Amino acid sequence: MNAHLTSWVLRRKGTLVAVGLPILVAAWWAFRPEKLWINDRVSEPAPFASSADPRPLYTGRLEGKAHQTSGRATIYEAPDGRQYLRLTNFMTSNGPDVHVVLAQSDDKSLAQEIVQGQLDSIELGSLKGKQGDQNYDLTAAVDLRKYNAVVIYCERFRAIFGVARLEQF
Amino acid sequence: MIPKLRIGLVLAALASTIGLHPSVHSQETEAKTLETGTFHGKVHSTSGRATIYQEQDGKLVLRLTSFKTSNGPDVHVILIAARDADDDANFLKNSTQRVELGKLKGNEGDQNYEIPSSTDLSKFQTVSIYCERFNANFGAAPLEKF
Repeated sequence: MNAHLTSWVLRRKGTLVAVGLPILVAAWWAFRPEKLWINDRVSEPAPFASSADPRPLYTGRLEGKAHQTSGRATIYEAPDGRQYLRLTNFMTSNGPDVHVVLAQSDDKSLAQEIVQGQLDSIELGSLKGKQGDQNYDLTAAVDLRKYNAVVIYCERFRAIFGVARLEQF
Repeated sequence: MIPKLRIGLVLAALASTIGLHPSVHSQETEAKTLETGTFHGKVHSTSGRATIYQEQDGKLVLRLTSFKTSNGPDVHVILIAARDADDDANFLKNSTQRVELGKLKGNEGDQNYEIPSSTDLSKFQTVSIYCERFNANFGAAPLEKF
């Protein structure tokens, strides 16, 4: 059987090559399997040269919890190295004793509307206004990879108004 | 003498309030950040950020940063008229409108793509890394207002 197959292959060698080769080439062209191992790395500069402007480091959308809250929270780094949080298109409801704090996005307290235990957080200041763009300075020592969520937090009622989970910009 | 001095002082004060304010806006050189979003992988794992900037002359630029996808044949960057591209099964089948931005320059790293000025960004809300040959969505980034 095997010998029979071998002799058949030998007799049709020309035909097999004529048919098989184009199929192999077409398959290679279609799938380009070598690209699985080859990376094309590029590094284009930003479309603007602006080293003198604050650079966004992290950003996230605010999502409402106990009260409707929306907008964007972005952490910027100024050219002098100072970091600050900026809220844009911001809107939340009025409330007493509302603060802007940083917390850890995987903190279980953030899943609730009212914090039961203790919220591990870093205070950035009292909310300056319930609407509009506003900035909050960060103290130099904040580890933003750990404290990677911005929380609009009513201290008096331990109510979470809104949370923005920060992602690298 | 004294009244003249007083008039002089008043005029100087007026001049400083009206005319001599340094212009705050003349220093603006930065492109405006319009929209941003992060990639989620579909057919192939894709990650990074897509951001649309408007340059001072009004030109729109899509910039990919911290970008990574798998290498493949005939991969393009397109904008699609959809909120997101979750379902790769019927991706672009029911004639989803798209804007072609060009061939993917590299499967890794920061890169820029010009967006045609006529593009309505309120309609084309998602960036897709799209393999033309197999009609496959490598990854998509739904854009949100920055």
